[in-house]
Amino acid sequence: MDTDLVTRAQGGDQEAFADLVYAVADRFLAVSHRILSDIGLAEDATQQALLSIWQDLPQLRDPARFEAWSYRLLVRACYAEGRKSRRWAPHMRLLSGDDPIVVDGTGAVVDRDQLERAFRRLSLNHRTVVVLHHYLDLPLERVADIVGAPRGTVGSRLHYATRQLRSALIADARPTAREVAR
Amino acid sequence: MTDFHASDRDVNRVIQAWLDEDRHEDASRLAGAVLDQVEALPQRRATWWRVRRTPTMNRFLSVGAAAAVIVLVLLAGSRLFGSPANIGGPGVEPTATQEATQTPEPSAAEPSVDPEGLLPEGPHLLTDGRLPITVTIPAPDWYGEPGGAILAKNDSAGTGSAAMIVFFSDLYVYGDPCQWSTTRPDTPATTVDEVMTALSAQASRDASEPVDVTLDGYAGKAITLHVPDDADFSACDRATFGSWGLPGADQTPFRYHQDPGQIDEVWVLDVDGELAIIDWAYYEGTPQAVVDELREIVESITFETP
Repeated sequence: MDTDLVTRAQGGDQEAFADLVYAVADRFLAVSHRILSDIGLAEDATQQALLSIWQDLPQLRDPARFEAWSYRLLVRACYAEGRKSRRWAPHMRLLSGDDPIVVDGTGAVVDRDQLERAFRRLSLNHRTVVVLHHYLDLPLERVADIVGAPRGTVGSRLHYATRQLRSALIADARPTAREVAR
Repeated sequence: MTDFHASDRDVNRVIQAWLDEDRHEDASRLAGAVLDQVEALPQRRATWWRVRRTPTMNRFLSVGAAAAVIVLVLLAGSRLFGSPANIGGPGVEPTATQEATQTPEPSAAEPSVDPEGLLPEGPHLLTDGRLPITVTIPAPDWYGEPGGAILAKNDSAGTGSAAMIVFFSDLYVYGDPCQWSTTRPDTPATTVDEVMTALSAQASRDASEPVDVTLDGYAGKAITLHVPDDADFSACDRATFGSWGLPGADQTPFRYHQDPGQIDEVWVLDVDGELAIIDWAYYEGTPQAVVDELREIVESITFETP
C-alpha cells in the first residue's frame, strides 16, 4: 500500500481515502464473504470496516502497517456481524483420518457444496484463520498479528479447522445408506 | 477423479481451490456508499499520550528505572479519542479481541459519571486504585472515563481541543523528538532538574526557560514546549514527533504529538522522592476559556499521600 496515500488519508484527505477504499474494497469483500459465508453480512462487515478505517486512521502511527491494521478492523467487523447472526453450528462429527476423500487430479473441488457446508459448521475464529492463511496466503505470524492471538493459538485453530474440514469432507463423500441400497 | 487418503496437504489444496473460486463479489457500490458517508463522519484523532497498562507498584516502596508506571490520565478529547482500550499510538493498534480494562474502586470523592462520559463540575478522583489524585472540574463539558482514566474537552474541535495527563515515572527524554528512535538516552531522567535540562535541550523545537512552580505544597519546575508550526511529521521516525518515552520494553514515545503548533505545558514535581509529570496541552486555536479551565484543573490537583 502506498504509504503516502495512507498518510494523506490520515490527515483527512478524502480523495486519498477514496483511492484507499477502491484499492482494498474488493479484497475486503472477498475476505469477509469467505469468513462469513453470507454476502449480505459480508457487505455490512466490509462497509463497517471501511468506515472504521476512515475514523481511526489518525490513530495508526505507522502507515507502513496499514495492511495488517486494516485487516484487523475487517476481522473485528466480521466478528461483529457474525455475532448478529446465529448461523454458526460449531459442533460436528469427527471421523477417522484414514478414510479417503475424493478430488479430481487438478485439486479442484469435487463438490463445493460439501466444503461449503463443512466450512459453515466451523466457528468464526476458525474460519478467519483458514481464510487469512489459505486465501490471503498470509503466514501464521501475520495471521496471529491480525486476529490478536498468539502464534500457537492460531496454529492450533488452523490444525483443528483442517481436521474438521477433512473429516467433514470424508463424511459428506460417503454414500448414504439409501444411495448404497440403490 | 481419484480416491486418496487425504493428508493435510491434500485438504489444504482442496480448501485453497475452493476459496479461490470466483464468487462474483462487486464492492464498487459498497465503496460508493462508504465514501458518501465519509464527508459527514469525523475522524477520531489520535490520543495525546500512549496508554500503558503496566502493573503498578507502591510508589512509596521503590523508584527506579524499571519502576512501574502509575498511569493517571487526564486528557482532552475522550469522546473523540475513544476509551483507553481503543487508544492508538505507536505500536498500539486495534486487536480483534477486547482488552480488559482496570476499574478502580469507587470512592466518595469520585462523582457519578454520565453514560457519555460527561463529568459533573466539582471534585473528581483520578486514581489507579492505590494512588488517588483529586482534581476539581470547574466547568461543564469535560469528558472522562469512569474510573478517572481520561478527561477531555472540545474533542471534536481538533486544534481547538485541550488535554492533560498526570503520571508518576522517570522519563526518557529524546534528544530530538523527530529522530526519537536514535536519540533515546541510555538512562532516564530521574530528577526534576534532569528532566528540565533534557527538555530544554531538545532539538527540533524551541522550549521555554524552566520556571519554579509549587503544587499542593510540592516543588517542581514548569516548561513550555512547542511543536514547530512547520514540523513535518512524515519525515520523522515512524511519522511520529515524540517528546519522551517511559521505562520498559516499549521504547516508542509515550508523549507523541498530533499536530504542528501543539503546545505542551509540562510540570515536573518531586512528590516524596518520585517524579510527578503533569502534561497539559492545547493549541493556538483552543479557546482561551478552555485553556483557563485546564489550568484551573491542574492547579486544583491534590496528591492524596498517606
